[in-house]
Amino acid sequence: MEPRTRSFYVLSAFFALFILFLYGPTITIGILSFQGEGGGLTFPMRGVSLYWFYDLFEQQAVGDIWGSFRRSFALGLMVMVVTVVVSVMGGLAFRRKFPGSNILFYLIITSLVIPSILISLGVGLLFSQSGLNVHWSTSGFGSQLTWTLPFGLLIMFAVFNRFDTSYEEAARDLGATPWQTLHHVVLPIIAPSLIGVALFGFTLSYDEFARTLLTAGSYNTLPLEIYGMTTNVTSPVLYALGTLTTVFSLIVIGTFLCIAMVMNRRRALKGSDSGKGV
Amino acid sequence: MKKLRNNFAVSSLLMVSPLAAVLLIFLVLPIVLIVGVSFWRATEFSIIPAFELDNYEFLFGSPVTYTVFFNTFKYALITWFFTVLLGFTIAYYLAFHIRTLTWQIALFLLCTIPFWTSNIIRMISWIPFLGRNGIANSTLISWGVIDEPIEWLLFSDFAVILAFVHLYTLFMVVPIFNTMMRIDKSLIEAARDAGANGAQILWNVIIPLTKPGIMIGTIFVVTLVMGDFITVRFMSGSQSANVGRLISNDIALLQYPSASATAIVLLLTVLITIGILLRFVDIRKEL
Amino acid sequence: MTKFPNSKGLSRRTLLKGAASTALAAGATTLGAPMLWAQNIKDVTIRQFGTGVSNLNDVATKVKEDLGFTLEMTALDTDSVTQRAATQPNSFDIADIEYFIAKKVWGAGNLQAMDTSKIVNYDKIAGTFRSGLLTPDSTIAQGTAPHTVGFTSGQNGTDFVQEESGWMTLIPTIYNADTLGIRPDLIGRPISNWSELLNPEFKGKASILDISSIGIMDMAMVVESMGEYTYPDKGNMTKEEIDLTIGIFTEAKKNGQFRAFWKSFDESVNLMASGEVVIQSMWSPAITAVKSQGIPCVYQPLEEGYRSWGGGLGISAALSGIELDAAYEYINWYLSGWVGGYLMRQGYYSAVPETSKEFMSADEWGFWYEGKAAEGDILSPTGNKLAGAGEVRDGGSFFDRMGSVVCWNSVMDENQYMVRKWNEFIAA
Repeated sequence: MEPRTRSFYVLSAFFALFILFLYGPTITIGILSFQGEGGGLTFPMRGVSLYWFYDLFEQQAVGDIWGSFRRSFALGLMVMVVTVVVSVMGGLAFRRKFPGSNILFYLIITSLVIPSILISLGVGLLFSQSGLNVHWSTSGFGSQLTWTLPFGLLIMFAVFNRFDTSYEEAARDLGATPWQTLHHVVLPIIAPSLIGVALFGFTLSYDEFARTLLTAGSYNTLPLEIYGMTTNVTSPVLYALGTLTTVFSLIVIGTFLCIAMVMNRRRALKGSDSGKGV
Repeated sequence: MKKLRNNFAVSSLLMVSPLAAVLLIFLVLPIVLIVGVSFWRATEFSIIPAFELDNYEFLFGSPVTYTVFFNTFKYALITWFFTVLLGFTIAYYLAFHIRTLTWQIALFLLCTIPFWTSNIIRMISWIPFLGRNGIANSTLISWGVIDEPIEWLLFSDFAVILAFVHLYTLFMVVPIFNTMMRIDKSLIEAARDAGANGAQILWNVIIPLTKPGIMIGTIFVVTLVMGDFITVRFMSGSQSANVGRLISNDIALLQYPSASATAIVLLLTVLITIGILLRFVDIRKEL
Repeated sequence: MTKFPNSKGLSRRTLLKGAASTALAAGATTLGAPMLWAQNIKDVTIRQFGTGVSNLNDVATKVKEDLGFTLEMTALDTDSVTQRAATQPNSFDIADIEYFIAKKVWGAGNLQAMDTSKIVNYDKIAGTFRSGLLTPDSTIAQGTAPHTVGFTSGQNGTDFVQEESGWMTLIPTIYNADTLGIRPDLIGRPISNWSELLNPEFKGKASILDISSIGIMDMAMVVESMGEYTYPDKGNMTKEEIDLTIGIFTEAKKNGQFRAFWKSFDESVNLMASGEVVIQSMWSPAITAVKSQGIPCVYQPLEEGYRSWGGGLGISAALSGIELDAAYEYINWYLSGWVGGYLMRQGYYSAVPETSKEFMSADEWGFWYEGKAAEGDILSPTGNKLAGAGEVRDGGSFFDRMGSVVCWNSVMDENQYMVRKWNEFIAA
């Protein structure tokens, strides 16, 4: 084990500062969410209390936090599942050249780099000109997919690029059908990356704002609802929401980590060395 | 053999069909529609099919357009500069100084947690942080560094760049980290054996090998900054504009044709920028 | 007879139901048996959207209690409201919008006019919304006055008529007189003119709102107050006047006069409460929000007068049958006083002051409407203290304030030009 060089400590300090920078707003939100009852959204603090956390669960003067939260969550799950499935399928397909693969690839890149407001405007226009209603589960869903799919696909491309095909060859030599190869060899190997894609898909969808702005229909997702509430809500209840979201995300990430650890342990127990193919 | 290849082609096509369908409906069609609408006329509340170049004429004839596009590029460039510096350092730290994969992932996740809180709530919180009576100013005053609150911490270009760097550095870290992890460690050992010191290894070995990662990160950051409108509006106190702002203002006022015209010009600008950047990296290989 | 807002008297409920069904029966609509209707009404859901000003969840709760059907509220910012009214007709049943928005979107045909004979309290609606005259000798202010866009020719008319035609575009529900808000503790001297917004003394500490239809009116008030120009009609400017107005402000902006601009209510409260800004365009409830944090803030009556706005409820053109009946019932209930009282206790004015009076205490009525000194603490509908004993409402009585209105939020003929110029101002 090499001893730590001096640059390690310098860089560690730098990293710590960076984390502090990233967490600046989160910390501010955390402090302010304990604002006293008479307090507002800025300093100075007027007392310290848990009032706003309780208030969060009461009915708000304006806005429907929990309804939109449920919608965001549902939408996030939908997007997550579809992103994983379509990314895996796309990743598998792109391992070989097929007619149109170049065009499709550049379309994927375009989908990634296109400014979100264009998607929002375009999909909104598409639905309104064709007489369909915009709804968060159709137009909103589709718009968010244009954002998450490229990420998922790019990750899958990276994974498959580094994939060691000798495992599949071995399976084929042993007489496995393509489906069996897929099911028992490929999927287990790429499983950790799938978790990554799932996490990405959910996160990107959950906080997505610009693409759903015009495509969510009458019922808002959580980011849109918060945006709407800022037109008439001036209480730290928004901060309480922020703090709770941070806690929520810590729990979710913790869960994912546990799943990953459990999976690893089970693999180690069963003596398999899958996952090392990538 | 041809039959085999055909079989593969068919199965591949089948597997990408959902992807293609989504992209067709939600990407291609909308863009086509925007192009079409950009030639239409608008009244207060409706849009009328027509074919006129009015919108484009106005766009190119107005000095605001040029100011705004210039602003957009300015923000993109400055943000890029800082995110590259920060991103590279962080990625380097994570790739080369953190030993175990578990720790890398853990630290990485630590970085992503703030992004789970809604964007909007985080933006609201910059005011108490950077404002005249905010944490930053109060701390600096109590340390005696300054006498009066610093005004330009908030509602200025500084605030906008700060917010951009805050939001998008991670998009730079990920690709660079990815590329760094793929560097063969034996190359670095060889360089050390050949007598290079830390700085030389960095300059001659690591940086050239991470160029693709830097490029990909650049593409992410530049396009995100160019397409953003909320951050600019909020952090500059609505005093500064970029192209996204123009579009969102037009949309809010139901002037869809002129919004579309501006959007098409933005899209072309972004695509050209990306096209140039892609010349420097073959993205398919570097994934 | 004074009623308190929290009363849930059964007698009131049955009275209301009786009144509503009587009104509807007396109206021209043919209904099935009242019992059938009363049963079905519980399954009706009405979707309402509007700005946060009046999309209050408390109203939905009370509707469920009093009328039995479900009211779903969605709150958006002003520009999104305009957009939805114009482009998404199937996404709402009731639109809660301002009159200037109605002017913009009425032609789209997404809203249907309301038969005034079905409106129980039509005659008690403040004169401003019917004939344009608050009192018989008022002058009509400049700009898009509500009565000019309040009436149309028929149920599906897309035009505006200038007399009380029996078909209203919106039912007026809420309005107020707006002015500048200030931090008296940070300014330290009396402010009495709109021109103070551009006073270099407040350089870097001023703000104005970034909503073009409203901001341009504030700008005009300032310019006229500075003596730079006198507008024949601030609400309908020519291109040259627009250039002049925005030019003056652009110069001030380049000189660093403004700290920030705000687009949402919340931003304006933050700016004032944190001391970043000491003088700015503000909306009345924002003042109360800042005050309720214990920070001194005054809605300053100014010599030149107020800018006013009015909002109302509109019905989607797609509504018919039992839902349309439910919508009319909702509107009649809205004007019958509970909501009016609620809104007035936040500082707005109800379009039917008489009925709202029944839902306010004598002290509250005296404070908010008559401009008298408060006798006890004045509380907001959610319980925050807004004023103490002896304090007088900023600006005084209803007639003092609404009588000094000189312009309304407007949509001018040169609107598209104005919007472009506004964009240039923001980007400068």
